Amino acid sequence: MALSQTASELEKADPSLARYNRQMLWEPIGIDGQRKLRDSRVLMVGCGALGTVLANTLARAGIGHLTIVDRDFIELNNLQRQVLFDEQDIADQLPKAEAAKRKIAAINSAVHVEAVVADVNHTNIEQLAAGKHLLLDGTDNFETRFLINDTSIKTGIPWIYGACISAMGLGMVIRPGITPCLRCIFETSPPPGMNPTCDTAGVLGPTVNVVASWQAMEAIKLLSGNIAALSPFMFSFDMWDNRYQQLRVAKARELADCPACKHGELEYLSGKFGGSTTTLCGRNAVQISQPSGSRIDFEHVAKNLSAVGKPSFNKFMLKCPIVQGQGDNQKEYEITLFSDGRAIIKGTNDAATAKAIYAKYVGS
Amino acid sequence: MAVKVRIPTPLRSLTNGVDSLDALGTDVQSVLAEVCQRFEGMDKRLFKQPGELNRFVNIYVNNEDIRFMDNLSTPVKDGDDISIVPAIAGG
Ligand SMILES: [Zn+2]
Repeated sequence: MALSQTASELEKADPSLARYNRQMLWEPIGIDGQRKLRDSRVLMVGCGALGTVLANTLARAGIGHLTIVDRDFIELNNLQRQVLFDEQDIADQLPKAEAAKRKIAAINSAVHVEAVVADVNHTNIEQLAAGKHLLLDGTDNFETRFLINDTSIKTGIPWIYGACISAMGLGMVIRPGITPCLRCIFETSPPPGMNPTCDTAGVLGPTVNVVASWQAMEAIKLLSGNIAALSPFMFSFDMWDNRYQQLRVAKARELADCPACKHGELEYLSGKFGGSTTTLCGRNAVQISQPSGSRIDFEHVAKNLSAVGKPSFNKFMLKCPIVQGQGDNQKEYEITLFSDGRAIIKGTNDAATAKAIYAKYVGS
Repeated sequence: MAVKVRIPTPLRSLTNGVDSLDALGTDVQSVLAEVCQRFEGMDKRLFKQPGELNRFVNIYVNNEDIRFMDNLSTPVKDGDDISIVPAIAGG
């Protein structure tokens, strides 16, 4: 093995990579690893809390190509944790993907960023993933994660799961055919409304930063060719309780009876599972059909929603008004949830907006 | 005999904020029965039906998934740490 290079030797060896010399001084990366990062193409699905930390970290680390897809706009309550955005972006009413692209251009102009303002679904994800070396999870719902999981299995492209709520987080590297996939661990998602979401139970900025930084570290290992260093565990923590665990999940690859990676049933990618949306013409409303294995527990959902609105329910349906934004940007919506998991989101004709509201406040 | 059961944040609305408890069972089944008996509504969150966990919740004994040991019959001993890990989707 060659003797390690000094910072100035590294700069001379390739002046275009000079800005990364603190990173290249870490021998497992070095100049070869840095070139691999530069030549990497990553799809980032979702650019909210996790996504902004990921995009920021990976752009600074010199990942060459980032495709950032997000369906949402920026709200004031995002700024507490979504590190790429600021008050001016809200005043400019920028979509998250576009605002992220502009910030990254100022941080590292050598990174090529493609901003896509869209809802990622089974009709477009394969095209978005084509030619990428890694898929990164910055989403806020299970449906999209299972869709990424299916896409990873079909294409062979690895992905990195990350999720958080309050002070708790989870993360896992998924390499199809080598490690367990997400459905080896969680075969189904909870029924809509069962679990609290960041918008109903809250989330702390440091939680997001820890999960996304863990994902970013695994991404840097993987893209720089340091496969042996990848975590074989599911990382699980609760920072409020001071608990950090490495859950041993590797056996699930052989032993779980996984519908996706073992039986090849890619139910989310085929469109069999997952919600479908219908714009209700002339009503300024969108219907979301979300298959639910069990009846929705309205009392439980109402308890979650009472953090953001004043829900009311009878035995047939639950209604909750939701107000987003401030001043001129204020928007009013109303969620009507039926016991089979179907919902009508009033206040928009746009399917992506309706899905975003459903994921934030009901959870899917 | 006592094992420590950790209640994750998403389930603490059912426990009035209680984050862990000591249980006396000798296997995972009896320990979880104790948890469900103490906290109303927990049963539905953990179990699809009696004896069958929901597919969106995993139980780990000392960081090992019970599905790859003896599942709910996995024995537990004094000092074991039982984690309930629900699928979480925030981000
Ligand atoms: Zn699998």
